[in-house]
Amino acid sequence: MSNSNNMPKRHMGLRTANTVSNVLIYILLVVICIVWLIPFIFILLQSFRVESTCQVGYVIPHTWGLKNYVNLLYSESSGLFGTAFSKWYLNTFIIALCTAVIQTVIVLCMSYALSRFRFKMRKALMQFMLILGFFPGMLTMIILYRVLKDLGLTQANAVPGLILVYVASSGMGYYVSKGFFDTIPKSLDEAARIDGATRAQVLWRIILPLAKPIVIYTVLTAFMAPWGDYVFASYISMGSTAGKNVAVGLYEWLSQDQIMNNYTMFCAGGVLVAIPVTVLFMCLQKYYVEGVTGGAVKG
Amino acid sequence: MASVKLTNVKKIYGSNDGTRNADQVVAVKDFNLEIKDKEFVVFVGPSGCGKSTTLRMIAGLEDISEGTVEIDGEVVNDLQPKDRNIAMVFQNYALYPHMTVYDNIAFSLRLQKLPEDVIFNKVTNAAEILGITDYLMRKPRALSGGQRQRVAIGRAMVRDSKVFLMDEPLSNLDAKLRNQMRAEIILLRQKLDTTFIYVTHDQTEAMTLGDRIVIMKDGYIMQVGTPTEVFEMPENLFVAEFIGAPKMNIMHTQLTREGGKYFVSPFGAKIEVDGIKGDMLAKAGAGTGEVILGVRPEHIALADAAAPNTIPVTLEVNEMMGSELHLHVYTEDGTRLIVRVPTMDLSTERRESLVQGTKLNITFSGKVMHFFDPESEKNLLT
Repeated sequence: MSNSNNMPKRHMGLRTANTVSNVLIYILLVVICIVWLIPFIFILLQSFRVESTCQVGYVIPHTWGLKNYVNLLYSESSGLFGTAFSKWYLNTFIIALCTAVIQTVIVLCMSYALSRFRFKMRKALMQFMLILGFFPGMLTMIILYRVLKDLGLTQANAVPGLILVYVASSGMGYYVSKGFFDTIPKSLDEAARIDGATRAQVLWRIILPLAKPIVIYTVLTAFMAPWGDYVFASYISMGSTAGKNVAVGLYEWLSQDQIMNNYTMFCAGGVLVAIPVTVLFMCLQKYYVEGVTGGAVKG
Repeated sequence: MASVKLTNVKKIYGSNDGTRNADQVVAVKDFNLEIKDKEFVVFVGPSGCGKSTTLRMIAGLEDISEGTVEIDGEVVNDLQPKDRNIAMVFQNYALYPHMTVYDNIAFSLRLQKLPEDVIFNKVTNAAEILGITDYLMRKPRALSGGQRQRVAIGRAMVRDSKVFLMDEPLSNLDAKLRNQMRAEIILLRQKLDTTFIYVTHDQTEAMTLGDRIVIMKDGYIMQVGTPTEVFEMPENLFVAEFIGAPKMNIMHTQLTREGGKYFVSPFGAKIEVDGIKGDMLAKAGAGTGEVILGVRPEHIALADAAAPNTIPVTLEVNEMMGSELHLHVYTEDGTRLIVRVPTMDLSTERRESLVQGTKLNITFSGKVMHFFDPESEKNLLT
């Protein structure tokens, strides 16, 4: 007791000031959180509204139910998972999964090569790819469409076509992982090679375990981009229902003639789309943050 | 266990590695050396002399620009490191951070697809020799520098390789640990009984470890010889100054011949080149003229009084090293010399009188002199 009385006053003052600024910061963060979450909560609530399928002037549903979700996945004519939405969902999932796998392999091999090998035109190649990356991908859309059409990979066959499009330029996304690989000492490679490892074994058994955050970052970004893509997917699958991905399909439900019947189903579809990504993020977020900052700071 | 032979080996950076051609750097020039089976050879030299590059060319981590490297009679220029059957210890240990000590040591054995029980025996055996049995399940980051280096050595040991390469393995350790590990490497060498190539910039390590020492400078071999040879008969001024600590004193002086005897006259003193060195000068047919005279600090003695064969100097710094004193002195014309005196040789009063500014007289015998040509810097007697 006497001890605390003897303490200089400004200590208490400092603590109070800290508390006040903390409280203010938390209030601000909570407000930002709420603002940011409102659209998501809105969609979630609408997806459980079963009394009508059109837009309404209130937020909380009068009648709750899972009808919208059931309608998405089941119809009497086509059975369970036979609906258009199921097809789109599957399309998107196949595209995103294939892209994630192939793109990760390409990006990691590319980054390893650029980080570890010294070859002629290496610098020029890196600069060239950097400059190429400045051009928006949309610029290539028309020629891409022509090429894919000639290959028969548009409309109903849009799934392999889209995988090809997403994967094609993935080597150019080497910056982050190359930066991370650069921070792993070269002598580890050398030690492993002397221990009897081939270059591939060095990458697989030494570098990748050490670069786990960046591998996960690469997988996540490679999965996310096609999962939510609209522009390329709509263009390449144009005129076919079977070739659409989920973003394109859902967007069509918002058109003038469909919105009355499909609005709440659209919301339910949005929730279903968010689920895999959310789960993926929740499982991997620890590594994801590490990966982003790890590569950025050290790279 | 194998011999290693390097023939006209050259390393040119910037020729074929994708960097600009304009700044080609020749790191190793015309390197010729034969290393016998089970020999311990040390490459030593200042940084940038090409010693590590040479070692890495033997290991296969650097391309060989010209010449050939043979291991056990087989040219290995185009073999990958994994096919050369070598083991290497790196300066920064290069332990795999995500693996335990056990897995680190077992890594190469697992790549060879040996059965787990053989691996277990080999790893525990190596760990026992190196005294790291208690740490086998730890990750490298939980180890001290000395323990890490032991793991690195263990990893190299279990490979039963033909040649054991070590690239400055002790440089990252503190001085005390370095001395201890140096002794352990000598013991290890006796146990492994294989060919060792060891790179260091530390001449003490080179002298204590090597059967033969290869002294390098700017990509050239300056001398190859046993520690005694390079210490007693340095082929040139560079080796003379590089080997030995503190380094050899260098004096520009005149060599004169009077009545069959040779004399040098550093800083006004006149000292006869007597004994074996005088005979060798006569045998080499040396004439009168300018020479570079080299005398090791331990061969200079303090004289009691000024005499024709003494050099008057002033004491600048007195370093008490324990068993000996290092006296940094300068002559009348400002040349700095180092004198190494055993502490036991001086009385306490004499020792205490050696303070900055004290006037001293130093001398040395003809037997311990080294003579170098002022132009070519080559030893006149080799």
